[in-house]
Amino acid sequence: MTGLSIKVLVEHDDFVLSIDEEVSLTGITGVFGHSGSGKSTLLKVIAGLNKQAKGKLSINTLPEADTLFDSEAKVFVNAQQRNIGLVFQNSRLFPHLSVEGNLRYGQKRRNNTPLNNFLDFSEIVSLTQLDNLLVKSVEQLSGGEQQRVALARALLAEPRLLLLDEPLSALDDKNKKLMLTLLAKVQKQLNLPMLYVSHSLAEIQQLADDLLVLSSGEVTHYGDIHQVIHQLTTHSEIFHQTSLSLTLNEHLPQYGLTSLALAEQNILMPLNQQVKNDSEVRCIIAASDISVTLHEPSESSIVNHLNGTITAFELCKSQVLLTVNCSGQDFFVNITAWSTKRLSLIVGQKIFIQFKANAVRTLC
Amino acid sequence: MNSSSPDILALITTLKMAGITTIILMLIGTPLAWFLAKMKSRGKVFIEALVALPLVLPPTVLGFYLLLLFSPQYLPGQIWQQATGQQLAFSFSAIVIGSVLYSLPFVVQPLQKAFEQLGDDLLEAAATLGASAFDRFFTIVLPITKASFITAASLGFAHTVGEFGVVLMIGGNIPGETRVLSIALFDHVEAFDYAQAHMISISLVIASLVLLSMIYLLNRPNKSRLKTSNPLITKSETSKRFS
Repeated sequence: MTGLSIKVLVEHDDFVLSIDEEVSLTGITGVFGHSGSGKSTLLKVIAGLNKQAKGKLSINTLPEADTLFDSEAKVFVNAQQRNIGLVFQNSRLFPHLSVEGNLRYGQKRRNNTPLNNFLDFSEIVSLTQLDNLLVKSVEQLSGGEQQRVALARALLAEPRLLLLDEPLSALDDKNKKLMLTLLAKVQKQLNLPMLYVSHSLAEIQQLADDLLVLSSGEVTHYGDIHQVIHQLTTHSEIFHQTSLSLTLNEHLPQYGLTSLALAEQNILMPLNQQVKNDSEVRCIIAASDISVTLHEPSESSIVNHLNGTITAFELCKSQVLLTVNCSGQDFFVNITAWSTKRLSLIVGQKIFIQFKANAVRTLC
Repeated sequence: MNSSSPDILALITTLKMAGITTIILMLIGTPLAWFLAKMKSRGKVFIEALVALPLVLPPTVLGFYLLLLFSPQYLPGQIWQQATGQQLAFSFSAIVIGSVLYSLPFVVQPLQKAFEQLGDDLLEAAATLGASAFDRFFTIVLPITKASFITAASLGFAHTVGEFGVVLMIGGNIPGETRVLSIALFDHVEAFDYAQAHMISISLVIASLVLLSMIYLLNRPNKSRLKTSNPLITKSETSKRFS
């Protein structure tokens, strides 16, 4: 099990980043925060592009720890020796080189350790769908293509950890989806740990296994993606939402729906044939899209109704945030104080929650 | 015919002086320009002003102080004399040192501007791909700012060819040693030999015009490859909704 041990203090004129955290480097770890929260500074510190940072940073690959910097011991490993890749928001492709020239730049400089399993150039090129672009100049590329080149270039340098700094923020919706799918595929295929920084929780929710939340330069939450999103929702730090992973039951193309399994109950979402049998779907359901009934509705156009138990009430302004447990999964429901009173809802009560298929959202 | 051979000698001396000066200027000017482009402290403006000084000072002022420093009465001149056994003032070495100082801003300024424009983005990207500082300079900085290097070298060369005041003060008029074209021209005018003066003058005008045209051609805006495209930024409704 690999981990990143971060004990870092960065002080600028009006900003302090202070982190003391052991981050597990398995799969994709999302780093979420608003602008100015210190996300990008953290990535720069890890990559070795910030030399002002104090403290200690090491990658722990059992059996030994590899120190990246230790300000007390005056140790600083340069960015070029860290073997940590970074994909920037603004691709930063080399304008004097062709697409292939950019890709080869990193490949030529990869670390020649015998442990490495060298990646095949053409394998990465076809994985990132750049086959037809190799001879092009980077200025001829669209935004989405530029980011794919930047990703492939970073991969070919064969990093042990890949950092992604808002890689989708300059892309349109179509290219965002493409990159998200690509990143998930790359992660699985190469088994490369990634830190994915974004100010969009929706993006992170689609990809990350763990989530680290930064606020004003400090870690406020860190843990499993769904759990952290639930914590953020109960603390009303984000739009109230339920984040969950579900597995496929079946596609119902004749109705334009896809049926997903939540233990013994079903959830219907708009048809998405990208979802394969063995993969899980990351979904988000906004708390304001769910309503509550005391009896199972039998004559309603709303397709999803699940039975569950109320486990918590929370009053936020004139709204009530209900937590309803359905087959082991907590759902968050926003209703008015008026409805709460009218239905005389209490903790422990068995009720039904209902929502439209369209309320089940996914970016992929 | 008899009078043209000293002029040829003056031409050779001039080219030799300008050539050596340009090589030294590139070697000193590149790190200096890099340092100034990356420097953030307040001391930067003072160094910048010092480098730019020859642009505004009469060359004779620079020449006067250099003459004093190069003479055996002062320490630099003494050290030189002890090391080489020759006097520094009124030597070829003296006019090269003078030219280096005199033409420094013409080399440093275009390079500094190019390095500032290049910024850190591409260099950071190259570093994360495993390129060392040395490697980054030769594979990223040099190819992208090539035009500015050519401009800096050409301006440094052309400006050195055209100098007069500094050479006159510290070099004098020794044929084959310090007698350069601008001094030869002055001699011809003093002697009312306008035909020879025309020869030298018109040659310098044409050569300079050709060189400058080439520099401007090289630096035409559409040749610049520094610009990176700016992809459309579109905000997604879904991501707004959930973040």
